[in-house]
Amino acid sequence: MRSKKSGLDNTATPTGKPLTPDESLKEQGILSERAQPSRRKFLARLGIGATLLAIGGQTYAFIRSLVPNVLYEDPQRFKVGTIDQFGEGAKFIEDKRVFVFRQKNTFHCISAACTHLGCTVKMQRVNQPKKVVVRGREIDDQVEFACPCHGSKYYSDGTNYTGPAPRPLAHYKLELAPEDGQLVVDTAETVDQDFRLTV
Amino acid sequence: MATKRSTWDKIKWTWQPETKREAGDSIVRNFLLHWFPSKVTRQSLSWNYSFWLGTISAVLFLILILTGIPLMFLYVPSVERAYLSVKDLEFTVSYGWFLRGLHRISAHLMVAVVFLHLVRVFLTGAYKNGTAVNQNRPLNWVIGLLLLLLTLLLSFTGYLLPWDQLAYWAITVGTNIASSAPVVGESMRFFLLGGRTIDQNTLIRFYVLHCFFLPLGVLLLFSYHMWRVRKDGGLACVDQLSLEQKKGPVEPIKSKTYSLLGITSGRTVHVETLIVDEDQHTVTASPNLTRRLMAVTLGTVAVAALLTTLFRAPLEEAANPSVTPNPAKAPWYFLWLQELVTDTTFTIGGITINGALIGGIIVPGLLVVAAIAWVYLDKSPPAAVGVWFAKERRKQNIVFLTVVAAILIFTIIGTYLRGPYWNFYWPWQSWPTMPRQF
Repeated sequence: MRSKKSGLDNTATPTGKPLTPDESLKEQGILSERAQPSRRKFLARLGIGATLLAIGGQTYAFIRSLVPNVLYEDPQRFKVGTIDQFGEGAKFIEDKRVFVFRQKNTFHCISAACTHLGCTVKMQRVNQPKKVVVRGREIDDQVEFACPCHGSKYYSDGTNYTGPAPRPLAHYKLELAPEDGQLVVDTAETVDQDFRLTV
Repeated sequence: MATKRSTWDKIKWTWQPETKREAGDSIVRNFLLHWFPSKVTRQSLSWNYSFWLGTISAVLFLILILTGIPLMFLYVPSVERAYLSVKDLEFTVSYGWFLRGLHRISAHLMVAVVFLHLVRVFLTGAYKNGTAVNQNRPLNWVIGLLLLLLTLLLSFTGYLLPWDQLAYWAITVGTNIASSAPVVGESMRFFLLGGRTIDQNTLIRFYVLHCFFLPLGVLLLFSYHMWRVRKDGGLACVDQLSLEQKKGPVEPIKSKTYSLLGITSGRTVHVETLIVDEDQHTVTASPNLTRRLMAVTLGTVAVAALLTTLFRAPLEEAANPSVTPNPAKAPWYFLWLQELVTDTTFTIGGITINGALIGGIIVPGLLVVAAIAWVYLDKSPPAAVGVWFAKERRKQNIVFLTVVAAILIFTIIGTYLRGPYWNFYWPWQSWPTMPRQF
């Protein structure tokens, strides 16, 4: 930006070189808008800025409206039945995609969603019960889980042992509902593989 | 020449122009044809240079729009009624099976033909600039890649809509691949699904993407793709003609510039064409180009319609979130990815990386990046432009064909050699019978 104080004095510049008539006019802000630190420039920028802001704001509104604030989905916390409805071993709660296990008076709940890409794993009886060492402990495996999509397999405690699954099946928190004694699964809360609900 | 032209005169064009003037007029003065040049080289028209694959994909897209419109009237994008409305299409709506079948077959063909078009462009080095000014073929290659990706997204969103088992589990796998992306993955999945589970929000989202946003994207990019072909001086094989001409003792190549003379100064909207010896190499676009265009269109429609009557569109059981079909397979053009996400879970130093991230995001992402970078790094000479298997690009073609072969092999493994629980079975091995429930 050139200095404004040169005014009508068109004979001298900071470098001492005389100005041509054109340059002199520019100096005075007559020829070029650019030389004018002007209201015009300010308003132009204000206009462009306001336009961008308006477009940005409305784009945000458009996209934000597509992120739901209320979900009309099944609740993540649900009842699966009273204790006496569960026999020894595993029961598949089909519409909730979870397995509920009972071992005498302890319960635990394992998700049926494969940790690879979310297909529903199938529980298979093992032909001959095998003893496997998982996480430093020997377990007597009667069943295992297998995923139909990409062939991952899990031991009965949910630990993955073959296929592309990167981690064990999720374990969910189990509670007893105080009002009617039903088992309550909370799929929003994952727990340790050793979690057991004792009743 | 008559000065008054009826509306009908403006739409139709002559198939038997008496003079070159009439031939040129029928292109330039016609709205439907104005985007074509009035004269084309014989090479660009030849069947076995381009195999007309770009044209075929455009015709397939046209079929998809035309069949998609009535389907939009008949299909209800609601989780309660989507499956039943597709079933109605198959069994109660007059010719509903044909509309749905033609739409489906055209979609399958479009994926294949767009991919083959890409292969053709690569193997002929047609993404390279020749000698004419203002060419930007690499950009058009990138636009073409985007069109391929849009085609795949259109297929993916399309096969969710019947809300059958295939649809449901494809979308489960697809959106979980999205969620395996680091940091933004989970929120991306939430945004795609419109919630935590695949439900009504998901269906309507994919419906609107499928019927509005993605086709709009294809239309815009397709227009730009065609405009660039004209700006770049037509098909790449034309560059060879001008190159040959340069060698001979003829006068230097002129460049034709049409500009808005007198309206604006400087270089403005213009079309540049390489001038090749017109009498020797070019023919009038009407009827030579238009006739072939019609033949390709009719042929494509005929093949698609015939395939539709031969292969009825399947419809699996209604979507059931608690039972995954065994095996659960994506459509053939995604099976190489399904095979890839199966094989790419790695554990390095105690950290396990999900195959979904490597096979589903990183590898395809790198392929796209490599495909874009490639055309800007290719420094082979102009002699390799628009020539099948140019010897200057032999190594490049070998690398490219290796990748294509790998994709094909993975597709074949996924299609024919994977059985229940994604176990490997040779074609002569029978699959064990599976209980329907666990």
